[in-house]
Amino acid sequence: MTEEALLARDVRKVYRSRKGLGVEALRGVSLSIRRGERVALLGRNGAGKTTFLRIASTLLIPTSGRIHAFGFDVVDEPERVRPLIAVVPQEGKPFFHLTPREQVYCYLRARGFARDTARARTEEALAKMGLEEVGDRLSVTLSGGQRQRAMVATVMATEAPLMFLDEPTIGLDPFARRAVWDMLRELTQKGSTVLLTTHYLDEAEALSERLYIVEEGRVLFEGTAENAKRQIGGTLRVSIEDGGHQRNLFQAFGQLVEEGNALYVITGPERIHEIMDVALRNRLSATVGPVTLEEAFLTIVGRSIDAE
Amino acid sequence: MALGLRWSGSGAFFATEIRVQFHEWLAIVTGTLTPGALIVFVAILAADLLPVTLIGALVYSMFLIGQRVLNEAAYIRIDHKLNELYHASPLSPEGYFVGIAGGMLVAYLPPSLVVLGILELIHPLGLVAGLTLAVCLLAVWAVSSTIGYVVSTLFKDMKTIWPYSALLTNLFGILPPVFYPLSKVPIEWRSLVLIVPTSAAAILVNAAAGLEPVTRQEGTVAAVALAAEAVILFVFGIYWARRMARER
Repeated sequence: MTEEALLARDVRKVYRSRKGLGVEALRGVSLSIRRGERVALLGRNGAGKTTFLRIASTLLIPTSGRIHAFGFDVVDEPERVRPLIAVVPQEGKPFFHLTPREQVYCYLRARGFARDTARARTEEALAKMGLEEVGDRLSVTLSGGQRQRAMVATVMATEAPLMFLDEPTIGLDPFARRAVWDMLRELTQKGSTVLLTTHYLDEAEALSERLYIVEEGRVLFEGTAENAKRQIGGTLRVSIEDGGHQRNLFQAFGQLVEEGNALYVITGPERIHEIMDVALRNRLSATVGPVTLEEAFLTIVGRSIDAE
Repeated sequence: MALGLRWSGSGAFFATEIRVQFHEWLAIVTGTLTPGALIVFVAILAADLLPVTLIGALVYSMFLIGQRVLNEAAYIRIDHKLNELYHASPLSPEGYFVGIAGGMLVAYLPPSLVVLGILELIHPLGLVAGLTLAVCLLAVWAVSSTIGYVVSTLFKDMKTIWPYSALLTNLFGILPPVFYPLSKVPIEWRSLVLIVPTSAAAILVNAAAGLEPVTRQEGTVAAVALAAEAVILFVFGIYWARRMARER
């Protein structure tokens, strides 16, 4: 087996409609994930994240390009790849007429686990996801968050060498999200590799060792969250309430990011006094804080949108 | 491994589906309403046709399993995305298809066993008729499960699928001579109903049970048609399951 858990080269996907029109979902995505790594794939809705995950997990055939999982081609050798992977599908739900305990156990059995192992792993996964109390209730009676936890528990219990999680914590409360994070960290410590998509950038920052930002089917950024923040031209963020209407006042001080009426100036510590001075003179309320991954994301993706 | 079939995990997935269906026991009970009502009508209006109707109820119930497959496969794909969970796993695509179809067969069998019990009381079947019944029901299951599974993969919305379920049930289960004897069908339509899988099954079982004689030619046409449809469609179902495990 190779060093990389996942290696993608120039992956393209065009969805063709019946009228022959094509939607280019991926335009040459290349990435590599080492064994035991946790990597986040970030991007706006429709950026191509789910398409990539579905191709990598053998569920979709690319138009061109290659993806290898542990050295096996996901297109030509799906039978060899599938035992090595597990997927939490986006908006997936457990069988409503199974209990979480049955759901996890039955899935493990279908993957070929022996009864005793399946039973032990089921109990462990339910405990870790805080589902013991509702473990014997039909999923149809559970809340949306509990169902999502059951889905995550189902996949995590496999301890598959490579896991794809498409927005695994959507709809989860902060405690449950952290339980998922802990479980993912534990799994990677045991040797599993994780590729996840999320719209929660705090999650991506807390969880992933590296991240890829994709936009319109292309990789815009690859690196750590810290690299992403550094790349946008500053370490501090000045938030200016109602500053969106006064962009021209702050253009000289750094990278500008607009969000509604608010304006964020990404800058270095040496310009803070000047910016605050301008804000006060113009009776604008301003606060200073460290740059977050969200700003980095908005800036990197925003640049790409502006460029187009 | 014939046709390169792989069955890893299929037994467990089959057991999963049975478990899911038994938790939905009310659906199993309500599935008996249509054949049950028809049996009651015939018992009141033409009691001498009751054995034919009971055999029809068995064939109809078996065809109805295909509609259950359609609804279940569509529901877990469209609404739950569980097909992705299972397709990206060692469970083979053919195991997934046969698991759903087999799970439905076992789960929905108890009401049919009750009907079979009533038939045995009213018109006991001999060995040949019993074997003919078993083989024909299995063939109808293979045909209807494949139709159900294939149709389930063609649409992206549950609401679009529902009318097809009703259409197939009426087209194959009610309209042709399943609940009524072949002799009631106008002569010009007979060659057509002989090749419809449900009516072919009912005609063959009725003939084997001595309820409605058929000519040698009619019997041969019905038997060959049913066998060919069952084998061809089931093989196609496996091909389709493999194809559907990966979208294009």
